[in-house]
Amino acid sequence: MSGELPQATTPVPTDPLEQLLIERIRKGAIELPLLPQVASRILAMVYDPDAEAAKLAALIHQDQALAAHVIRIANSPAYMTRNPVVSLQHAVSMLGMNLMSELAFSASIKGSAFKVPGWDDEVKGLWHYSLASGAYAKEIARMRRFNVESAYLCGLLHGIGRPVVLQTLVALSKEQGTTLSKELVHQLLDGYYIQVGLLVADEWGLPPPVVESIGFHSDYNYAKTAKQECMTTCLAGRMAKHFLDPEALDEATLREHVVFADLNLYPKDVDALLAHKDKIRAVVEAMPL
Amino acid sequence: MMPSSAYDIVVVGSGPAGQKAAIQGAKAGKKVVLIEQEQGIGGNCVYRGTIPSKTLRETALQFERLKRSNEVFEGRLRLDLPMTVLLHRLDEVVKAHECYMADQLARNGVTYRHGRARLVSPHEVQLETIDGASQTLLAETIVLATGSRPCSIPEVPVDHEHVLDSDSILSMIYLPRSLTVLGGGPIACEYASTFALLGVEVTLIDRAKSPLPFMDSEIVSVFQRGLERQGGRFYLGQTVTEVAWDGVSSVVARLANGMVVKSEKMLVALGRQPNIEELNLEAAGLSLDEKGLLPVNDHGQTVVPHIYAAGDMLGRPPALASQAMEDGRRAVSQALGLPVGDSANQVPIGIYTIPEIASIGLDEEQAAARYRGPLVGRAPFTEIAKGQITGACDGLLKLVTDPSGERLLGVQIVGENATELIHLGQMALQDGANIDRFIDTIFGFPTFAEAYRVAALDILGQRRKRQELAKAA
Repeated sequence: MSGELPQATTPVPTDPLEQLLIERIRKGAIELPLLPQVASRILAMVYDPDAEAAKLAALIHQDQALAAHVIRIANSPAYMTRNPVVSLQHAVSMLGMNLMSELAFSASIKGSAFKVPGWDDEVKGLWHYSLASGAYAKEIARMRRFNVESAYLCGLLHGIGRPVVLQTLVALSKEQGTTLSKELVHQLLDGYYIQVGLLVADEWGLPPPVVESIGFHSDYNYAKTAKQECMTTCLAGRMAKHFLDPEALDEATLREHVVFADLNLYPKDVDALLAHKDKIRAVVEAMPL
Repeated sequence: MMPSSAYDIVVVGSGPAGQKAAIQGAKAGKKVVLIEQEQGIGGNCVYRGTIPSKTLRETALQFERLKRSNEVFEGRLRLDLPMTVLLHRLDEVVKAHECYMADQLARNGVTYRHGRARLVSPHEVQLETIDGASQTLLAETIVLATGSRPCSIPEVPVDHEHVLDSDSILSMIYLPRSLTVLGGGPIACEYASTFALLGVEVTLIDRAKSPLPFMDSEIVSVFQRGLERQGGRFYLGQTVTEVAWDGVSSVVARLANGMVVKSEKMLVALGRQPNIEELNLEAAGLSLDEKGLLPVNDHGQTVVPHIYAAGDMLGRPPALASQAMEDGRRAVSQALGLPVGDSANQVPIGIYTIPEIASIGLDEEQAAARYRGPLVGRAPFTEIAKGQITGACDGLLKLVTDPSGERLLGVQIVGENATELIHLGQMALQDGANIDRFIDTIFGFPTFAEAYRVAALDILGQRRKRQELAKAA
């Protein structure tokens, strides 16, 4: 990690579950989801200039469920091309390698990280948030002429700690025989998802801009090598929140955030970004949990 | 709406033209405000144009110097090098530039405002800040210097991912293996030669029969041969009918002659268009001509006498930062009734290809159109000791004189340090120097400047022959 977050004075947690969670994080005893092998190899491919389309198709083929899933997504309204996509090779050639990599990566991680039985609505919300953040990140990067290729992954994965914190809390409450309140869950997700996200990033060997985006999206001034990606991710996350729940984060409040100014986005630019709602919706709906 | 403020001069845009206009006004004791819509001072030149591209070029040159020493160092550039590595000095360079520009403005008492400007009347400029607030600025004189942006055409959709323009080309994560460059102007040629030197397989496609068609053809051919030696290819006199990402791994360009060119990335550099749409020119009584440009006189003055335009927004190729600076100074000098000078007639053209190209005054073809039998003296860098020592023999200096072989009319150079060397010629042209001046002057040895003397001696030889022939006749 290149920058250092300011040391905040942490109040002593009052909830025993929170104490246990902190202890696990400190000991590195959080059960981290494994990055599926296919996702891991796809990730390597995204950052490999020698990667070829044929290799990607072959890789996705190794996981039949993933292959079927990718073809279904490719035929969804968000991506549908002139003719229906009938094979993986066809999907790769119609949609492009980068987009296919994104789809395949997203599809393969959702099965591992975004799975918490009994908390389906929360997990679904987190998944939609990740997808919408990734999609918005691309639009912001395109508008600001930042790198579009890495923006999606930064947006998609910056909140990867949240489902993992949720998994951990559910496991802890089971062990302790206690009941988890939604209020406490939300509070602890907000409080610990960055720390846990960084553990996941380390475990999965995510690329440096993604790691920085996880660590510094909300404090992007501390980012050193990937400040643009962190700012983009910060805004993408906020726009995703507004998109998914406009009552919880209304447009006026959304527009107040300093990240717009830091990205030099004027009100007209923000209007243009907000006008992408249908496109974002299509991306989110294309990949249900 | 904030209360309005009054200024003697409102300058819109802080690129080279705007900056110099603002400083010229402030030095004359005027109350000046400079408005910039981006976060930093300097315009595209600093953040997406001259400074970043020249920083990458410098990396390529360092690599070339290492290659020239390949008897000592054995190695090659990794093709998957992240662009951030190649541009590692960029942040420092930009910050240093920002600092010095901000200091310069502050020192001269120029007020700087961050926001977007539009005209609301001939004397009123509305400033919209990033938070959406607006304020009206009243101005005695207005200088519009909003710069330009890359041209786009429907046949070539720029997605900033696979098909990039000069604003987004440096946002690539990795150095691509292959790059198609559309266009044959300075930006296209500069990037083509930089990327070729970095080991990228470069193909340049242009409608014109030659790259840089406004430059001396002999000089351009040296650049062209140099790029071909680096593995670059030229498809000239070709029209692109369609460009599309094949969805797999290549950008595919289809040419009118049926040829298909594939590459990993494409740079679209088909010229630049002025940033004028957001200015609301009509509100000030201004309108565009049939080419979509804002008409101005030699001093940048529009049909509304107190409104001037300067720099790239005038749409005059080649868009040079040095010309823009001069435009800015000239506009404000004219507005304030200060002496304007005639230096604008002698702005050198510098193109940062590898090798560099520079020109001032008339070239061989232009001189031939005006004079019957102008003389041309040549100094190939192979005949210059410094060229041999540095291994930079790929160069040529041309002096163009009137038919008597005495009066210097122009200088064209291709080769290492061309953009520096040209200033010797510029001074000579401005002083109306006789060609013998270069022969009588003792240059340091070994230097590239010696090329002036070699070329002048070439002219001397031709002059004598011509005199002998005249006598014999």
